[in-house]
Amino acid sequence: MSRVLENVSKEILKEEGIAVPDFFVVPDEGEARKVADELGYPVMIKALVPVGKRGKAGAIKSVENREEVEKVAKEVLSMTVRNFPVERVLVEKKLNIAQELYISITFDPSMQMPVIIASTAGGIEIEEIARTRPEKILKYHVDILQDLHPYMAKEIWSELGLEGRNLQQATDLLSKLYKVFRKYDATILEINPLAITSDGKLIAAAVLMGADDDALYRQPSLSRKVEVGSDRAWRPLTQLEKEMVAVDRAEPYRGTARYTEMEGGNIGFFCGGGGGSLLVYDTLLQMGGKPANYTEFGGNPTDTKVYGLAKGILSKPGVKGFLLDANITNNTQTDLVAKGIIKALQDLKIDVKKFPMVIRLAGVNEPEARRLFEEAGIEYHGDDITMEDAARLMIDKMKKLV
Amino acid sequence: MAILATKDSKVVIQGITGREASMVTKHSLTYGTKILAGVTPGKEGQDVEGVPIYDTLKRACQKHDLNTSIVYVPPAFAHDAVMEAIGNGIKLILTITERIPRHDVAHFLAAAKRANCTIIGPNSVGILSPGEKVKLGPIGGDKVGRCFVPGEIGVISRSGGMTTECSWMVKRAGFGVSTSVSIGGDPMIGSPPKAILSMFEKDPQTRTVVMWGEPGTTHEEDAADFVKKGGFTKPLIVYMAGRFVEDMPEGTVFGHAASIIEGGTGKPSNKMAKLKDAGAHVAQKFNDILWILQKVVKK
Repeated sequence: MSRVLENVSKEILKEEGIAVPDFFVVPDEGEARKVADELGYPVMIKALVPVGKRGKAGAIKSVENREEVEKVAKEVLSMTVRNFPVERVLVEKKLNIAQELYISITFDPSMQMPVIIASTAGGIEIEEIARTRPEKILKYHVDILQDLHPYMAKEIWSELGLEGRNLQQATDLLSKLYKVFRKYDATILEINPLAITSDGKLIAAAVLMGADDDALYRQPSLSRKVEVGSDRAWRPLTQLEKEMVAVDRAEPYRGTARYTEMEGGNIGFFCGGGGGSLLVYDTLLQMGGKPANYTEFGGNPTDTKVYGLAKGILSKPGVKGFLLDANITNNTQTDLVAKGIIKALQDLKIDVKKFPMVIRLAGVNEPEARRLFEEAGIEYHGDDITMEDAARLMIDKMKKLV
Repeated sequence: MAILATKDSKVVIQGITGREASMVTKHSLTYGTKILAGVTPGKEGQDVEGVPIYDTLKRACQKHDLNTSIVYVPPAFAHDAVMEAIGNGIKLILTITERIPRHDVAHFLAAAKRANCTIIGPNSVGILSPGEKVKLGPIGGDKVGRCFVPGEIGVISRSGGMTTECSWMVKRAGFGVSTSVSIGGDPMIGSPPKAILSMFEKDPQTRTVVMWGEPGTTHEEDAADFVKKGGFTKPLIVYMAGRFVEDMPEGTVFGHAASIIEGGTGKPSNKMAKLKDAGAHVAQKFNDILWILQKVVKK
């Protein structure tokens, strides 16, 4: 899933006929004052970062007058919200809110259906309310084959107690929101709070949208505005991670390779298969090992891709050993994996006699992989040992190092 | 007997002319799978490894008696291919394609449910029954016997690669598999573990099941409930991978909706506790599968 920044999601909602507060996006406090003057006080200043629960993190602030605006904007711009440094802020007109509603649409994976979650008790405590007063939350599964008819949206809000003009407006909004969800291949679309203002208008005060990476090819209006795969990270990508993304993208149709840098660690971790790498990482930790990174590869990558990835793994400071532990491959050519890794070792002038290494690599073209590793003087295992055995061998070798 | 992939499987491959699909066709025919037809628009009259190609699945169905389709088309066309299979009365649809847009998946899964079709996948490496000499999809490659030998253990895995590795662990423990099913790695799939357990329960050949679980979704929790309610009564051995993700910094949470829907589910530790409580054998280490199998399965 890719996270869509709030300015982009609000523009989309506006285009689709859902009211949002007037806003501007600015990079510094001077600009913030200018646009706040234009909007008129009071205003809200919000950190423009791809993380949820910004309110709880203190990254959404209210500004009452012109005197405060630069100070508050500067404060928010100097923040780092859940590891994302704030580079821009969203300045918007503060609403006069009479009631806060909550509305979201996402997929319920166990039902395999879109699900609408609605509540008349919106705001930052919504999860707490879901736990303590579940009767305040309504969940409605949508039959994707027949879509959401307006009467269904009306039933949802009516059941929650909305009446009169509020009911009509909320019905209209939810019908439109479901259309946005479908049209933009959203994985999540959340408005919290959905404000009923003191003059009776319904306005999407805060919007959160996640887009499906796998559907970006048909979402030209989103594709340049989201950071692909931003859901996987709990912080911005590191320099090394960005380089590894480039290695992976250079050959988009040949194999996948993912690299996540871990804090500290000394074992260069290069593991095959999404599932297999989970197993090996768990096993290393259980045995007291310290992986320096998390990497999975699969889908028959070229030797160039393997080379780029292996070089990245080995070049991280503090890496004192290397573990290649993969499940028996269905289609990945092990000889290409061998070539890439051996080239990376040679390039970095690593003495394989002194550098702890374990290779467990079986499957397609295995005899050639074995020959290449043995020729390079590297201990090689096929399916004579299990994946857990290979992890244990690595731990033993690392212990001998100190 | 076995499940899903049997001697009665009469197979069509949608997207048969692709690089991967043609290779899989060759390997599968050699192994013994009855691949009777292929579909690739614009290539009717040609063949792949002797398998005739048709422009439409409808025409393939007119010429051949087909009951199983393997969908091998690119992500952008996968939804239409699955709908074509449903529309032509195919009852088992194996979707190999990965990275299909989620809205498309939700839509064809709903359509399949309405038409009473079984979907395996998306993002599956296939299904293999060594006793029947039938493999559907890339699973096992061209050296099937290396990891898959006939026997009485069912294998269910959310990971494609680990479907093979778990089957090999069964072999290493001295046993063989009835059927190995790669159910697909996506959050939304046609047949979660619970559905496959139900099939294994009815299969007289299968005496024990080995299951590979991963973090996220409620697949394992649902399976545990199913076992507890008596839906699956044979021994179940489970390995839960990805326990370290629980100690990773928060960051996968975006918005409140997921947490309201999923509550505390999805954590490997909770899944393991629920499965244990339901009477499953939960392997602490991957190698434990070996001795648990030897203990549980009486020769």
